[in-house]
Amino acid sequence: MAKPRKSRGESLLLRYLVLGGWALVCLLPILWFLSIGFRPRTEVITPHPIYWPTFSLDAWHLLMSDWPIALYLRNSVIAVAGSVVIDLLLAIPAAYALARYEFKGREDIGFYILSTRMMAPAIVAVPIFFLFKTLGLLDSVWALMLIYAAINLSLVTWIIRSYMLDIPKELEDAARTDGAGDLTILREIIVPACLPGIITAAVIAAIFAINEFLFTLLIASTSNAYTMSVALANFTGGSDGIIYNAIALVSFIAFVPILILVILIQKHLSRGLTMGAVKG
Amino acid sequence: MGVAQATPKPAPRRRSPALRKAFPYLLLAPALAYLLVITLYPGLFAIYQSLFVVKFLSWSWTGLGNYSAILQDREFWAALGNTALIGAISLALQTGIALAIAYFAYRDPMIRGWRIIYLMPMLFMPSAVAFIWKLAFNDGRVISDLLSRLGLIEGNVDWLGSIWLSRMTLIIADVWQWTPFLFIIFVAALQGQDQEIEEAARLDGASWPKIFWNISLPMMRPVIVVAITLRGIDITTMFTNVFVMTQGTPGGASETMSYFIYRQGFRMFNFGYASAASVLMLVLTVVIAQTVVKRAFHSGKK
Repeated sequence: MAKPRKSRGESLLLRYLVLGGWALVCLLPILWFLSIGFRPRTEVITPHPIYWPTFSLDAWHLLMSDWPIALYLRNSVIAVAGSVVIDLLLAIPAAYALARYEFKGREDIGFYILSTRMMAPAIVAVPIFFLFKTLGLLDSVWALMLIYAAINLSLVTWIIRSYMLDIPKELEDAARTDGAGDLTILREIIVPACLPGIITAAVIAAIFAINEFLFTLLIASTSNAYTMSVALANFTGGSDGIIYNAIALVSFIAFVPILILVILIQKHLSRGLTMGAVKG
Repeated sequence: MGVAQATPKPAPRRRSPALRKAFPYLLLAPALAYLLVITLYPGLFAIYQSLFVVKFLSWSWTGLGNYSAILQDREFWAALGNTALIGAISLALQTGIALAIAYFAYRDPMIRGWRIIYLMPMLFMPSAVAFIWKLAFNDGRVISDLLSRLGLIEGNVDWLGSIWLSRMTLIIADVWQWTPFLFIIFVAALQGQDQEIEEAARLDGASWPKIFWNISLPMMRPVIVVAITLRGIDITTMFTNVFVMTQGTPGGASETMSYFIYRQGFRMFNFGYASAASVLMLVLTVVIAQTVVKRAFHSGKK
């Protein structure tokens, strides 16, 4: 090119067409679905779609009266929070070993842990179903907690390991010369120093657990153990068909806290989503 | 009272060499034990069960019968093909879109705002997203209505009535929800790269598209590989959208492997058959993990 371009010269029009266009693609379905949540049921499925519905709290009243939303919410919270606690307890020592020790088989063990993430839920669905059936754990929140923990353990371990690798070794060496043992160092120095990584891992694990669908569908066979995600799919009014306005409302109830959590860890998101492989 | 003032400094712990050597394994043991129970046990169980015809509580030995039946089962091959096809198209679209918007977004002053907007679809529960698109395409006829208002079609489209339309609804739902995943990673990689190289190229008169193509893209190659690998693995497990939106219609044209296993096991109660399918899928997964993923994560760490 002969003449140098102006730094802002590259067509801003094109840029904002693309960025604005994709923003609309993201937002319009969400806004429309929000409008579904606040319209009467008669205006959801119609011969011609209604874009300007009458405002109504029908769905809200239905949720409050017919639907044990408090139970489902409680199930979700117990199963998800419990699974994250299990993950952190197991993953922090494991990540420490992978990040700080030289030992035989380290690469292979690390990769094995990573590879469990790749297993399709459907592959283990049948055996897990029989396992929990034998253990008498079907239809219980505890089974869901154990499953969610298993699904996310690899991810949590790898994220925390990645943050531990960033901690300068000198910190530990100083403590070691003061006579601190390995576990003391882990507790007093390493964990506080990689707290952002631990929080990132916890948030991402929580989101994946909230979203988990297949196992929850199989294990929670009655509404006693339904979580938000699966209760949603079963939200049909029998002969009336699917109750979309209630589904919409419930998905926004779950969406808001997730959005807040994610905004809090925004800076760490790309690193977390790639299990630490990409430093954002 | 009477407590000694000077607490003696703890003597440095001396562990036996054996314990020193075992220590990292001890740290790893709980996590590994947990994962082995949840992966190895199901794997072995699936292999064992796949050798039987299971009808409720009665198991009757069939040896490799399930496998020979499955390899001749057109539905199985269709499900495998659909998973690959829907996954490949979906992944290609997501990668293209994510790169395009990341290219425009990372230098934009409003990047923080864009990022939050673009993230949103990913933060809905997948089952909710499936219902959004089920309503938009099928039950609420919104997409048909919008298209006919634009004069592109007439009347109502039966999205579940044709092989490609049905697959397309799955692809659109997946692209809508998961393009953000790739976008977030790509944008972070672009923002993290050395600004000085860009500046130097600018001073040499290079245009932004050229910089992106010749400098940024090659530099972020490892990142792209890791991101696509992770997303690709997730796509092959696609279940929720099929379960809610199409249930495999028409005639299994939109059935994925995960849905096939689910249907064989939990709809038709052919647990032995479902387990055989699981074992085959597991073998595929292990092969892919050992080749593609191992390489991707090694290049990504540099």
